[in-house]
Amino acid sequence: MLILELAAVSKRYGDRTALDGVSLGIPPGAALGLLGPNGAGKSTTLRLLLGFIRASQGQVSLRGRSPLDPASRAGVAYLPERLALPARMTVRAFLRLHGTLAGLSGSDLAREIDAVLERTGLGGRADDRLGGLSKGLAQRVGFAQALLGEPELLLLDEPTSGLDPLGVRDARDWILAARARGASVLVSSHVLSEVERTCDHVAILNEGRVAAQGPLGELLRPGESLEDAFVRNVRA
Amino acid sequence: MMPSPARIFSVLAREALADALRRRLVLAIAVTSLLSLQAVNSCTSCGSARFVRDGQVVEMPQVAGMGALVVMIACALWTLLLAGFLASDHLAEPLEDGSAALLLARPVGRGRFALARLAGALAIALASGAVLLLATAWLLHARQGLVWWPVLPAFAACAAGAATVGALAMLASLYLPRIATVLLVMMGVAGIAAVNVAGLFGAELGSLAAAVQSFGPPLVSPVALALHDWIAPTAVPGDALTLALRQIAWMLASAAALVHAFRRAELD
Repeated sequence: MLILELAAVSKRYGDRTALDGVSLGIPPGAALGLLGPNGAGKSTTLRLLLGFIRASQGQVSLRGRSPLDPASRAGVAYLPERLALPARMTVRAFLRLHGTLAGLSGSDLAREIDAVLERTGLGGRADDRLGGLSKGLAQRVGFAQALLGEPELLLLDEPTSGLDPLGVRDARDWILAARARGASVLVSSHVLSEVERTCDHVAILNEGRVAAQGPLGELLRPGESLEDAFVRNVRA
Repeated sequence: MMPSPARIFSVLAREALADALRRRLVLAIAVTSLLSLQAVNSCTSCGSARFVRDGQVVEMPQVAGMGALVVMIACALWTLLLAGFLASDHLAEPLEDGSAALLLARPVGRGRFALARLAGALAIALASGAVLLLATAWLLHARQGLVWWPVLPAFAACAAGAATVGALAMLASLYLPRIATVLLVMMGVAGIAAVNVAGLFGAELGSLAAAVQSFGPPLVSPVALALHDWIAPTAVPGDALTLALRQIAWMLASAAALVHAFRRAELD
């Protein structure tokens, strides 16, 4: 069973077609890099998977269920591209809220929050208000909430946005650590080098269609980088 | 792995309340409530006046009772407007600024999320309303000798009305900009209250007003009816049971409409 799947999915907004017959999926434990130029339909794909929007056509499933069923999102963590944090809340309160919704409670919750704060370098910022954090620190908070409770599926939309080089490296380590414990990952990103390092499957979207997809090794021609393959498929 | 629905609702409702409390607006509400209490304190301090109407001496308790009814209706209206005002952006704002996306990406049902946000907004409005209504009732009891307990069903009626207004305001906020929603709430509450008050005084109502009075959400009438002992022997028109049932029906229908609309909404 695929942990997430889109089967011939189209999404239209009036006359505009955001996705046109897209089919893709991730087997458990795999990591899919979702690539594409701006407006290709990457964020639309993520929103469909989370049940934020409905497909105009085709079937979407998350953990074997319809994304409109809240139970489909148990064990799923999401980091949006446009991360909006409640400014007046503290980092710890924010993580407590998300940890509880992720199914943690009591001493497990407290222990997990402390662990994730340390892992994301936010140990000294636990009582800071979210509104006072820099973009990079806010992105670390976004990662921290996504890592709570060891989710089985991570949906990451431009995960390195706003991070400095150290943060980018940390983010890569967090993703690889999640994969190492068996989690599946979907990374939507423009940073091809990061996708190359963290994902084993790639799907390239262009103008709402899948231009290419498959295991990273099969997608690249001999001597070709992911950037070359991306340009080749998008300009084809 | 997945928390129970009751736990999800209680966590979200607590967060919605905390979110409402973190807003600077709550300070303004607290100050306004205190100023209103000061006004009520002043209004209820007259204890030994003698009133003559059409040559007849009107006893103080009866005058006090009518005045008390007016004050209580004003307090109820404040609560209703506050519920609508707070609800008008308590769901729309986190949707607009994107902060709701992280919560809705958890195993959280849309309906539960919307009702939790409504509960957070209502808690603030009802706390303010409870302070005003109960303090007013206590002052009237202590100074004018009016029985205090009718304030309890009056508050319950006010709470049901606030839930209806809040749910409808939240529903409207899914489709309208904030300012339009607030204007709609103010005009709607004022209009229905005016019809309800006119009905209390036996005024002849036009067809639209009569329809609102017969089938619309009863906002003021149940409050007045709960306090009818205060103006006895003058009777307050209306049947308490029918009004209560209609009020509950409106409350449930407006909450159901909110949940249905939010489930259908596309979150971009």
